[in-house]
Amino acid sequence: MDFPQNMSMEEAFALAEAEAKLKQALTESKARFANAVVPNRLNEDWRFGRPHKNAVALAELLQSGTPSQGEAEVSNAGEAAVIITADDDDLRQTEMLMPTIGSDALLGMHLERFGDGYALYIEEDTKEPITISYKTDSLYTPSTFIMVAPGVKAHVIEQYYGCEQGTIFATRNIQVAEGAELKVEMQPYGCARCMVITNIQNMGGKVAHYSHFFACDWAREETVAEIYTPGADVQLFSANNLQLHQVLDQHTRQIHHAGGATSNLLYKNVVDDDATAIFAGNIYVAPGAHQTDAYQTNRNMLLSEKATVHSLPGLEILADKVRCSHGSASAPMDEEQLFYLLSRGIPHDEALALVSHGFLQDVVDKFERS
Amino acid sequence: MDETPFQIDTRGEFSFPENHKFDAGFGLTEATIDYICDAKGEPDWVRQFRKDALKKFNEMPMPTHWAPEGIKDLDFDKIRYYLSHGTMPYKDWDEVPDDVKRTFERLGVPEQERAFLAGVDAQYDSETAYNNMREELSKQGVIFVNSTEGLRDYEHIFRPWFGKVIPVSDNKFSALNHAAFSGGSFIYVPKGVKVAQPLQAYFRINSESMGQFERTLIIADEGAELMYMEGCTAPKYDSATLHSGVVELVALKGAKIQYVTVQNWATNVYNLVIQRGLAMEDAEIRWIDCNIGSGLTMKYPAVVLQGRRARGEVVSISLAHSGQLQDTGARMIHAAPETTSNIVAKSISIGEGRASYRGEVNVLKGMKGCKNNTECDALLINPASRTDTYPAVTVNGNASAVQHEASVSQVDEEMLFYMQQRGLTRAQAMSLAVNGFINDLVKEFPMEYSVELRRLIDLEMEDSIG
Repeated sequence: MDFPQNMSMEEAFALAEAEAKLKQALTESKARFANAVVPNRLNEDWRFGRPHKNAVALAELLQSGTPSQGEAEVSNAGEAAVIITADDDDLRQTEMLMPTIGSDALLGMHLERFGDGYALYIEEDTKEPITISYKTDSLYTPSTFIMVAPGVKAHVIEQYYGCEQGTIFATRNIQVAEGAELKVEMQPYGCARCMVITNIQNMGGKVAHYSHFFACDWAREETVAEIYTPGADVQLFSANNLQLHQVLDQHTRQIHHAGGATSNLLYKNVVDDDATAIFAGNIYVAPGAHQTDAYQTNRNMLLSEKATVHSLPGLEILADKVRCSHGSASAPMDEEQLFYLLSRGIPHDEALALVSHGFLQDVVDKFERS
Repeated sequence: MDETPFQIDTRGEFSFPENHKFDAGFGLTEATIDYICDAKGEPDWVRQFRKDALKKFNEMPMPTHWAPEGIKDLDFDKIRYYLSHGTMPYKDWDEVPDDVKRTFERLGVPEQERAFLAGVDAQYDSETAYNNMREELSKQGVIFVNSTEGLRDYEHIFRPWFGKVIPVSDNKFSALNHAAFSGGSFIYVPKGVKVAQPLQAYFRINSESMGQFERTLIIADEGAELMYMEGCTAPKYDSATLHSGVVELVALKGAKIQYVTVQNWATNVYNLVIQRGLAMEDAEIRWIDCNIGSGLTMKYPAVVLQGRRARGEVVSISLAHSGQLQDTGARMIHAAPETTSNIVAKSISIGEGRASYRGEVNVLKGMKGCKNNTECDALLINPASRTDTYPAVTVNGNASAVQHEASVSQVDEEMLFYMQQRGLTRAQAMSLAVNGFINDLVKEFPMEYSVELRRLIDLEMEDSIG
């Protein structure tokens, strides 16, 4: 190993130790992918998600030899954005160490196609939001890395366009340093299939994350937010309007490795026609992570007789002096709100749209205020 | 100690040299089943039924999704499936260990019942104490027998519903129970009869005691009402390490059933019980459940709401000590329109104990006007205590409302400080706070149970906080 010059013995040891740890983690991670199987009915993290249909279809496409093809664009990034290439080993290793929620096998297939997407090294406050857009009409597997330096305030918008026929399978690694503030929006549009695996690592900053799936036939979100430092804060938001036969399968983890931090989640869905919404979230408070505040709320509005909602909020608390709660509610539209609008002469369809819009707008407002 | 995955808690444990008249030996085979059938003098259809169930049991896999780690250590070949005492060996009260006597004393268990619980009497003298009640019941036409008598003497009543609410192939442990069941109660309450006093398992004459594979079937005919209680708050020692019961309730049109369980097995026991009720039109089923003992409990009382306007409720308290995993919860299946259900679960984790809530609420397709409310609250006493909540809520259609809330908290330091300032010891203050936490649920239990429960919590707190 080459040590930089002018390095003290302690620093050299610490560096060597870190390298050894990384090496071991990578070895373990290789075993993880070698042993992983494509999600099936026995995979608890795919409960209600029809893995025998959806996961298998995605896996088949990834293994079919169809090349990853798409356009990637970035704006307002200045010098922060770097295009990822296949031989970028550091970033590849970061992706190898990403946690998934029951989809290790699929992440393994994504790694085989590694080499598309952008890495953002944000070292100055952003004036305008940095916008990354990915676009495809076949299969696209971009990776995105967002690293925010200490004390920096940043706003990033990621857009994924599937052009109706396209399949997008994306991974996202977000690292926020101490005192940094990041607002990040993830917005897939019109994909036949869309799967996004996200890992947020918070080292003492503030992260507000908003996901909005629009007109995707099948979409799965796996978001793991990890908190390593006291004082850190993670806010997860999502608002979606599902119609036709759309299926949205959202899985989240709020993992508190360290105490004295906060996390909050608010996911809202309006479910119409034959659509299905699945939400499975979990708050994990590690042993010793005392003084944790973590909350989780899932609200669903059902608009049709054939709409289906599965909600699986979860708590795993191994520490003391914590304040944690979760809530889940699924109900039809409030008749009184509808009646109020109808009695003022607003046509039924418009009134319906207004009430459901208002239901979701609440999430957007909270994200913007955060 | 090495034979079980649990840390053994010796409070309330005691055993006597065993001397069983019938003992089917270790492991479960067709021969074991023949032995059980011969010993009980069962009809041929029951024998065949048990053997079919055994085949299913051998074919089925262990539960995967919901099973905690501890269940892997279960060895079905090391279990004795049928033990019966023709006459229980007589033991002197003086031989019962002092700490058990102390527990009975503190709980205020009546003298007569103490002897039974400590295994001194095969069953305590119910003839004299409960004779009047039995006469009353038979006058009303209520049938209250054990499972063997039920299937032998009242086949026309019990056979049509036997194994219908919980089928053989429901899961591996259901198949196990269908193959090896013994003990438990079969109850039939005729149309319109409202049973005034709660029925209790250990009040029954010639009972087989609470067997390890107990089998209970309660049928409340149209408009009938009853309350059934099983178990007791006093610690109960059992040499059997696997306790796998099946409890089926059938509430026909307009009937009401309340089923109260208080479980306090020793910590070497796996307590895997399947409880499910079927509620027809306008019927109501309530499970009132309290789990204090056993090393691993997996129990999710369920109500299938099969008729219009049926109502289901689960009220659950669980207390997990070091070395214990209380995996409890509730299931509500809304299979008819306008059905309502309510779940209130509270758990307390002490020391390194772990309490989990697992639940399922399912509003099936096309069901309108269904409502469910679920509340789970957990209290953590020590820094190493653990609690989990894993609900699953499914709603089909836009005409039902379902809500779920869960929270985790601990006893407020300021509250303890306030009480200590006024002269309570820390243990007293803690026990007052914990009693306050479950106060509204304890009220749901019958009087004598709730008094015992409170005292038991006092006792647990004294031991856990110095």
